[in-house]
Amino acid sequence: MRFMMLMIPLGYESAPPDVELDPERVAAMMRYNEALKDAGVLITLDGLHPPSTGARVSFTGGKPIVTDGPFAEAKEVLGGYWMIEVASREEAIAWAKQCPASENEIIEIRQVQEMTDFSEEVQKAAAGFEELPRAGRA
Amino acid sequence: MRFMVIVKATKDTEAGILPSTEEFAAMGRFNEELVKAGMMEAGEGLHPTAKGARIDFARGQARVSRGPFDLTGDLAAGFWMIKAGSLDEVIEHMKRAPFPSGQIEIRQVYAAEDFGETFTPELRAQVERLREQAVKG
Repeated sequence: MRFMMLMIPLGYESAPPDVELDPERVAAMMRYNEALKDAGVLITLDGLHPPSTGARVSFTGGKPIVTDGPFAEAKEVLGGYWMIEVASREEAIAWAKQCPASENEIIEIRQVQEMTDFSEEVQKAAAGFEELPRAGRA
Repeated sequence: MRFMVIVKATKDTEAGILPSTEEFAAMGRFNEELVKAGMMEAGEGLHPTAKGARIDFARGQARVSRGPFDLTGDLAAGFWMIKAGSLDEVIEHMKRAPFPSGQIEIRQVYAAEDFGETFTPELRAQVERLREQAVKG
């Protein structure tokens, strides 16, 4: 089963575009990433620039409306993610608990949808698009 | 430049209501365009938060809570990883996404060169090794 571990650093919603990283924390996180890799569970991972450099596109009423970051209404934003392959949600939780995260950080664990989770009709509709890239399916 | 396009959760996605066959096909066609434009690295949907968990690290202790979580407007229901020359290019493509309602958020992904001296050559080498050796499903 594939899971996403979504890193939610509280306060990142108002971080400046040129936010500074703490080298010690980066090194600790890299050791954690290495452990995920050594255990054969890591598919991919990425870190995201602060929302102040991003944009949101809303489709209310079927028309796209673009808002540039930072997003005043945001309470929680993503700081990055890991995609992992494990046997169960419990295993995913056990990995997340080992993360050298800070006090202000939350990791949310979410199972990734596979084609087999959908109805036969939907699988048929998507059948022509099987060549699309999927994380961990390269 | 790489970007993550986060599809925000709605009442429907949180209720586990899946797209119709037509909506699925429309999204497939949209993804096909992204692939043809050489922009799509990956795209995935996430099960509702009811099947997920959160881990809080307050006071250095990992505390687990089980979903569902409150729909604050900031939950994720899916994502794309996109390669593009600029944020504006991503915005222009994503405005054509076949969503009848809802919201997506576009965020630039950090590259090693964004970190400056903090990111030592050793750390860079480690990242490259991680990417090469990560499991492929």
